[in-house]
Amino acid sequence: MIAREKLDQLKAGLGSVIRRADLPSDRCLFVFVEASALKIVCQHVFRGLDARYVTSIGADDRPFSGSFMVAHNFAFDRDHLLCSILAEIPPGDPRVDSISDVVPPANWAERELRDLVGIKLTGHPYPKRLVLPDGWPEDVHPLRKDLPWNFVPADYDAGREFKFDEPPEGCTVVPFGPFHPTLDEPAHFRLYVDGERVRGCEYRGFMAHRGIEKLAESVLTYNDIPIMAERICGICGCVHNVTYAQAVESAAALQAPPRAEYLRTIHLELERLHSHLLWVGLACHIVGFDTLFMQCFRIREPIMWVAEKITGNRKTYGLCVIGGVRRDLTDELKAELQQVLDRLETEWQTVTGAVLKDRNIQQRTRGVGVADRNLVKEAALIGPVARAAGVDIDCRRDHPYAAYDRVAFDVITAADGDVWSRLVVRAREVFESIKIIRQCLEKMESGPIQLTLKDELPVGRLGLSSVEAPRGECHHFVITGENNRPRRWRVRAPTYQNLQGVPMMIKDQQLADMTITLGSIDPCFSCTDRLETIDLKSGASRVWSPEELLKLGRNKKIL
Amino acid sequence: MNGDLIWRIAGGLANVGVVLLVAPLCEGVLRKVTAYLQSRRGPPLWQPYIDMLKLLGKEDIESGESPALQQFVARLSLAAVLTVACLVPMGFPAPMNGAGDVILLIYLLTLCGICTLLGGLAAGSTYSLLGIGREMMTMIALEPLFAIALLVGAVHVGSFRLDTVLNGSVYAAKGIPWSGMILLVVMVLSFQAFVQRVPFDMAAAETEIMEGPLMEYSGPKLALFKYAQMARLVVHSGLFVALFVPWGSELAFPLGWLLFWTKVLALVLVVTVVAATHARYRIDQAIRYFAGLLAVAFGALALAGYGF
Repeated sequence: MIAREKLDQLKAGLGSVIRRADLPSDRCLFVFVEASALKIVCQHVFRGLDARYVTSIGADDRPFSGSFMVAHNFAFDRDHLLCSILAEIPPGDPRVDSISDVVPPANWAERELRDLVGIKLTGHPYPKRLVLPDGWPEDVHPLRKDLPWNFVPADYDAGREFKFDEPPEGCTVVPFGPFHPTLDEPAHFRLYVDGERVRGCEYRGFMAHRGIEKLAESVLTYNDIPIMAERICGICGCVHNVTYAQAVESAAALQAPPRAEYLRTIHLELERLHSHLLWVGLACHIVGFDTLFMQCFRIREPIMWVAEKITGNRKTYGLCVIGGVRRDLTDELKAELQQVLDRLETEWQTVTGAVLKDRNIQQRTRGVGVADRNLVKEAALIGPVARAAGVDIDCRRDHPYAAYDRVAFDVITAADGDVWSRLVVRAREVFESIKIIRQCLEKMESGPIQLTLKDELPVGRLGLSSVEAPRGECHHFVITGENNRPRRWRVRAPTYQNLQGVPMMIKDQQLADMTITLGSIDPCFSCTDRLETIDLKSGASRVWSPEELLKLGRNKKIL
Repeated sequence: MNGDLIWRIAGGLANVGVVLLVAPLCEGVLRKVTAYLQSRRGPPLWQPYIDMLKLLGKEDIESGESPALQQFVARLSLAAVLTVACLVPMGFPAPMNGAGDVILLIYLLTLCGICTLLGGLAAGSTYSLLGIGREMMTMIALEPLFAIALLVGAVHVGSFRLDTVLNGSVYAAKGIPWSGMILLVVMVLSFQAFVQRVPFDMAAAETEIMEGPLMEYSGPKLALFKYAQMARLVVHSGLFVALFVPWGSELAFPLGWLLFWTKVLALVLVVTVVAATHARYRIDQAIRYFAGLLAVAFGALALAGYGF
């Protein structure tokens, strides 16, 4: 009765500000508090009860309850409990105390809810715009319910430029991105460099924000969203797909059949395998070791092939629906998967043998990009970055989902918190994933793979789900709603937290270590927004603007 | 006398021609062997020739701070390497022997490095400037190594003449050639840096500073820089062979000639394997490494002064 215990602990100190609580199961806890006490409760949860910060959510709940809503999510990893502290904010001039000065990792998530939902923050330490484009007017907030999904304000000024902070004295500015050979996606780091040392940086990302949450809340339906969620990420798509389905299932108190849970586990681990192999390869490429890069990709390829045989796609498996999965695994495919795993295991032993003994790679990665236990707490870092610093957290064990409570595996940790430790953690996790898939194949029982849902999903329920993506915890928050779609769906991908730790990791490091440090969190940004075409006959070139590309894409006309 | 001069010039030009012809082939071998080590099929051996032709045929885009200087430096970089080629024996004795001595050779080798610096400086972008900062640090630590090797040879044979120095002169000590052997080790350990390959390609470092000094170059100018880099591999290999493994070069044509090119090819293969099995060092790590080698090389020079 951990949920009850935690609630009692909270009530003991702060009973007067807690309005009501909801304990739908022993694994999650929703506490509704007075808006004015949000900050003090969060401080107590984060510092006093030593919870891990997960994310913050803002929602426009006016059409239903008449007010705005803010939720700060925390995790008690050792107690297997996810906890959400919620407050209702009166409409009119919605305003709430910022918690970022007492819970520093909430910095981005709070700015995001300010940008997108328009809840003003009082006392935020760095209230600069985060998500919205620079030319977007101040008082228009896309996630408000009275705005349609395709609304563009009349005074939107696409040409306005971002205003950077002043660099510190004595430093030159080195622009890093939006286009750089080791950044696969657009993001901009403005590095303040003193000789070869990085003294600080400013980050501007969110260059291709696609408004997927808004689409889900206004256009798609419950079972469309998993397919869309999968497209959030090009590498760990299945993670979002499963996390969303689980969040809705937890809100509606549904339990997918056991065979579906095993299938979800197998697909998630397949994804981890190809993601980790890709990362080790890319890390080697970044430090100039292209031979290992090529070998990693060669070893990875059979996994992509077997995924294609199972799901029809190398990536984007299209696995989940609410209450189950869409396709089964035949006995022939199981046998083939076994073979692929056997070969992978032998080959990966060779590669890790070579990598883990290589002094040359150690020289480039040891002591580089260090995130110690303190930074892990203060920036709420997750996944291999946290485990490499000796923080033993893994959602597969701490917040078990799918079939992870029925398989045995080790959570790999290291001690130093540097890039080398992250490399070791990821390289070893590959063996654990192989172990997990083998156990699933062995234990998987026959039976249905989907629930038959006879009723509509209940309205206004809250659901949470955390899934251990290859890059760390992926967290989804859902409020179920009318018209066969959620009222609010909030996605927090692992890079969202880990990226916030990068400026601290690269401070006072060599410029040469910037790329491998950023690479070591296995960042995942988002996609392209413009291209240039040249007419070969006349030689005239034409730059396509984002608007034109959008129009072209929507009209389905081919160039 | 006049006939002799014409022959010498012809020999020098022949060397230039051979280097221009062989350099892309060596690059092709390098790529093919790299591909083999990486479980790839790799491009055909003649791909670098096609690459050069393609780059040379592209539009000459002027991007960077001082286009005129950039044009000049691109030409100068290839010219400098080719001039070195005139002075180095390529299977035959050094052709333009009387035209210059060891000191000129040292100057020309330094000029090759300076071209990269000038190229980056003329381009003037942030990444170019970072790259030339690294190149400059590398040069300061690295260039003296070859100079010391040549000087040790000159001290042993008591002459600055190219044909006497570039003939295994480092071993010409009385008794056991300690200084020569030490320098051989030093040169083997630093050769990768002279030809600007992994693990010592910090100045270009594509995944860190996007080719550094060469970032603003494309089309024909890039072709010239790339050609210079490929030629550098051949010329430096030739120099290394002449100075440290000259044995057999005096054999009659075609034996000596074949032996020379076999040795150069072997050196290219070594460079390839080392490049394919290492990660890039950081500039501070590299400089510490070069500084160590430099100290040892000075020790060898002192030994040579005492006749060892």
